[in-house]
Amino acid sequence: MTAVIHNLLRDRPQRILLADTSLTRGSELISLVAVIAVFGFTYGIVMGAFGGLGPDRWLQITYSGLKTPLLLLATFALSVPPFFVLYTLIGLRDDFGEAVRALLATQAGLTIVLASLGPMMAVTYLSNRDYDTAVSANFVCFGAASLSAQYLLRRFYRPLIDRDRRHRPMLWAWLAIYGFVGIQMGWSLRPFIGAPGMSTRFLREDDWGNAYQALLNKLTGTLGL
Amino acid sequence: MDEVLRGRGTVPSELIRGELRLTARPLLIASVVLAMSYGVCMSVFALVRGAGSSDAWIQLLASTVKLPVLFLATFVVTLPSLYVFNVLMGAKLSPKALLRLIAAMGAVILAVLASFGPIVAFFSVSTTSYPFMIVLNVTACGIAGVLGLAFLLRTLGWLVSALDEPGMPEAEPDAVAVDRITTDTGSEQAGLEEETTGSAEGQALAPAEDGEPARDAFDADRAVDDAGAERDEIAALREADRRRAKLVFRVWVVIFSLVGAQMSWVLRPFIGHPGMPFTWFRNRESNFFLSVLRALGQLLGG
Repeated sequence: MTAVIHNLLRDRPQRILLADTSLTRGSELISLVAVIAVFGFTYGIVMGAFGGLGPDRWLQITYSGLKTPLLLLATFALSVPPFFVLYTLIGLRDDFGEAVRALLATQAGLTIVLASLGPMMAVTYLSNRDYDTAVSANFVCFGAASLSAQYLLRRFYRPLIDRDRRHRPMLWAWLAIYGFVGIQMGWSLRPFIGAPGMSTRFLREDDWGNAYQALLNKLTGTLGL
Repeated sequence: MDEVLRGRGTVPSELIRGELRLTARPLLIASVVLAMSYGVCMSVFALVRGAGSSDAWIQLLASTVKLPVLFLATFVVTLPSLYVFNVLMGAKLSPKALLRLIAAMGAVILAVLASFGPIVAFFSVSTTSYPFMIVLNVTACGIAGVLGLAFLLRTLGWLVSALDEPGMPEAEPDAVAVDRITTDTGSEQAGLEEETTGSAEGQALAPAEDGEPARDAFDADRAVDDAGAERDEIAALREADRRRAKLVFRVWVVIFSLVGAQMSWVLRPFIGHPGMPFTWFRNRESNFFLSVLRALGQLLGG
């Protein structure tokens, strides 16, 4: 796993993407999933520590630690089937394994960036007890990690696009599907931070609703429509 | 199924002969299974919102059965018109080949739709909004339909382009005629060249001294010009034919989409409204497009 992290962060995408391994052999893929699980969990426990480290908060911390990699991996798993069909339809099936490897490597890179921002988030929690500020700070962290992931994604996808330009629209299709599912997944898996006044729960089953409808309601409310 | 998705069963060389390297039956069976799987995913909303009541389970059964029926019925309704257009436009696929082509298109649509199934099921579990589920399902069906119809148009486009290929019944006589003229004039030219290369000095003077070869050369030039004009005319006619054929097929695609949309309206409900008791079919009121617009309006808070 250390080698995978090393290659991810340094400019060595070919070590991950162009290795003579196929999807079925998949030791790199397992390593990438392990990176997502470990680093996602690391950031998750920091995110869930907003309410403190008392015995009543450990459950929330554990839940947040589990839910962060779950968010990324479940979104990935749901987005892969349509991506696979689109790749086959457009005639790029032979490159699908490599594309998946690139996307998974990007997710792994995202979690590493998130985890590296974890200590800063801990300092933010220590210096400010306001819940809204905590939400905003996490939003900024996810934004920064997503931007870094974009950079990684371009780097990892470059060999594919150089080989065949049709990989570019496929990449946009992936981002659209992944973004659409990911937003709802994030909404469904909340709370990640855990508001201090609320009881600790894995999911808010009684308040699931819909992320897009909530966004629309907020927008129409703001605009006074 | 994999061959269809990879486009290997509908290669132009097979289509030109009016054949498809596909078998309809396995495709139909796979399509039915895929449609059933999407039907299950669609009805997850009723199952979750209905908290596993008997109505919800019947809705699951109904959606699982009705989804394949929706697609099969749409294909049955639109197949005759596609066959007629196909013949009218000179792309002479046999009914059997056309059935295979439609089965391939159905397989593409349902493979895409089934691949969206897990996403639809996930939203069904995590959202409480019925209008959102309507819009989501319509969007998934729309994307699948666009990709499937693009597949069909591409295949039919190859067929229309094949009108240019020698060997096609319409193209052959004209093409042979043009070829014959070109070959004749070509051999005359070759003959002339052979004659004139005999003497280097007399070569330039020969047409002035002897009137016959000069007239022959003039006739040959004119024949080449006529053949060229005729070929241009044929090419222009074919181009017009191609454009018209593509337009007709595009219109057919629109008809197919409208029939599919209305068929889904006739066979509704598929998702199952949480506040309404289960029925196999609802009253014939309003229409598909008004319903989708209403759902969008509700979603936007109207």
